[in-house]
Amino acid sequence: MLDALATPSETRTRPILEVKGLKAYYQMNYFGVQREVRAVDDVTMTISRGEIYGIAGESSSGKSSLIKTIAGAIRPPLRVVEGSVKFDFGGKTLDVYADPARMKAARWQHLSYIMQGSMNVLNPVRKVKHAFHDFAYKHMSLGEGDFRQRLVSHLERIGLDPRVLESYPHQLSGGMRQRLTIALATVCEPEFIIADEPTTALDVLVQQDVLALIKDVQRRMGSSIIFVTHDMTVHAAIADRIGIVYAGRLVEEGPTLDVFQQPQHPYTAHLIASLPRIGDLRKRKALPGKPPNLSEPPSGCRFHPRCPLAIDICKTENPPLETRGTGRVACWRAGEVEAA
Amino acid sequence: MFKVLIDLLRYNREFAIGFVLTAGIFLFALAHFWAPLPDTAIYLLPPDMPPSTEYWFGTTSRGQDVLWQMSSAIWNTMLFGLTVTIISRILAVAVGMVSGYLGGRWDQAMMTINDTMIALPNIPILLLVYFVMRDSMSWPILALTAALLGWNYDARLIRSVTLSLRNREFTRHAVFAGMSVPQILVRQHLPYVMPVIFFTAMNNLIWAIGLEVTLSVLGFSDINRPTIGGMIYWANQHQAIIAGIWWWIAFPIGAIVLLFLGLFLLAISVNEYIDPRSRLSRMGA
Repeated sequence: MLDALATPSETRTRPILEVKGLKAYYQMNYFGVQREVRAVDDVTMTISRGEIYGIAGESSSGKSSLIKTIAGAIRPPLRVVEGSVKFDFGGKTLDVYADPARMKAARWQHLSYIMQGSMNVLNPVRKVKHAFHDFAYKHMSLGEGDFRQRLVSHLERIGLDPRVLESYPHQLSGGMRQRLTIALATVCEPEFIIADEPTTALDVLVQQDVLALIKDVQRRMGSSIIFVTHDMTVHAAIADRIGIVYAGRLVEEGPTLDVFQQPQHPYTAHLIASLPRIGDLRKRKALPGKPPNLSEPPSGCRFHPRCPLAIDICKTENPPLETRGTGRVACWRAGEVEAA
Repeated sequence: MFKVLIDLLRYNREFAIGFVLTAGIFLFALAHFWAPLPDTAIYLLPPDMPPSTEYWFGTTSRGQDVLWQMSSAIWNTMLFGLTVTIISRILAVAVGMVSGYLGGRWDQAMMTINDTMIALPNIPILLLVYFVMRDSMSWPILALTAALLGWNYDARLIRSVTLSLRNREFTRHAVFAGMSVPQILVRQHLPYVMPVIFFTAMNNLIWAIGLEVTLSVLGFSDINRPTIGGMIYWANQHQAIIAGIWWWIAFPIGAIVLLFLGLFLLAISVNEYIDPRSRLSRMGA
């Protein structure tokens, strides 16, 4: 009902993505033994229109699981246990897990996904043009000729020779394939783009190129992007806001500059402190310990076994994610963290 | 398509030899439509004539021209083989791809049936079917029975390929983009599985022809209809080897060996075309 009453100005200010209390667990049952891996645990976040949101965290912290759950691209054993993911496309609310039919229709048209290992998303035994046809054609309601024209102009804008359409993926370089993947994800001009490690397998030069391309496409189409990478320099380069994930939980969130300059969570502080700085030759300190096993996470704050600031309450009670300054942070001693 | 054929003939010696052999035998078999005498007629020619300018491959003890008998026999044998291959390929591809892609309970159920079929011995079952059917036995029924026995190994092979495709990025992407299961199987996976299908098809054709020959040599088929095995059966009945009528046995066996060789060479070389990567490395691109 609210959809119908929304005025254009309200539509513009409403966030494009709202995640509320999202819990997604890998639930396995091998030979009668139940195992539950809490990869996404109680995540609440919103993303506004035209924003680039970066998700950072170490390996196996649940970054990819979070992003897959948001995209509605999960398969058993990963299941949503609680919470909701709601998109707002063209003034209409779309609940990812309540309305699978509409979700299916919205994919690629409103919501596209650049997957991890995206250099391999093209079928190796088929020409590139078939991929565009399969993924985008039916969402664009154009005739064959118009579709082809749109494709060619889109590729040219992205800096690719339209002749690549007639080639097989193995005939193209890694950078070209990456560009093609981005072209594939943006050809329908979606309002929301999800990218999972879009630049991880590339060398720095191509990486810079691809990042500039993503930013350019985003600016032109005015879409929002949520992306995951463990590379903090990439976050610094393109994200408007970043969220730090530790052991399946969002521990800190805020505008990129603020998070880099004034981290509020001890984990973020370590993450930032570990980045090399030009001219600084001191050895970087590694954080002791390992990321926790998500099937048996530590009690209380999940970071407490590795945290230098841990006190008694950290071992028993989980700190809530609370607004502090320009961002949000989940730490009992948030005020006492100093940038190293 | 025509250009592809020319390229293959030029760059791929195995294909060229296989193509010439198979096409030659096919044309020879095709010629039976213009045979001067019906292929089931007997004692119309002088029996036991050795190869000569009049009877190129000699005549049989039943007064038939070996040349024209062979022409019909190869046609009938190839027809049997192709029927078996087509039916069993449809089964193998459907079961293998669906089972591999869907996984879980579907996979378990289909593979249980598949593995049970693998454990069954082929020849005794075909003999049983023959004895049960007896007079109403015809070659299409025999072909159907053979097809039902000939798809299991290849279904497992195709399943294993699909199983690995299922978790590839391009499959996950296709699922996300809203392609349905049949679309994914046909448009994304089938081109990948195609070389396997082709190769197993050629193998299956060779197996089916061998099976037909085996059954006919033993007399478990319509013996009045000329086939390669049927010719050998009649030659044995008339003790052709003891009587010195070698041409009655040597020419059919030679023909079947050449056909097998041709099909085998085609099987190994056709993959070069279907897999674009090996095709390119072959042509030095």
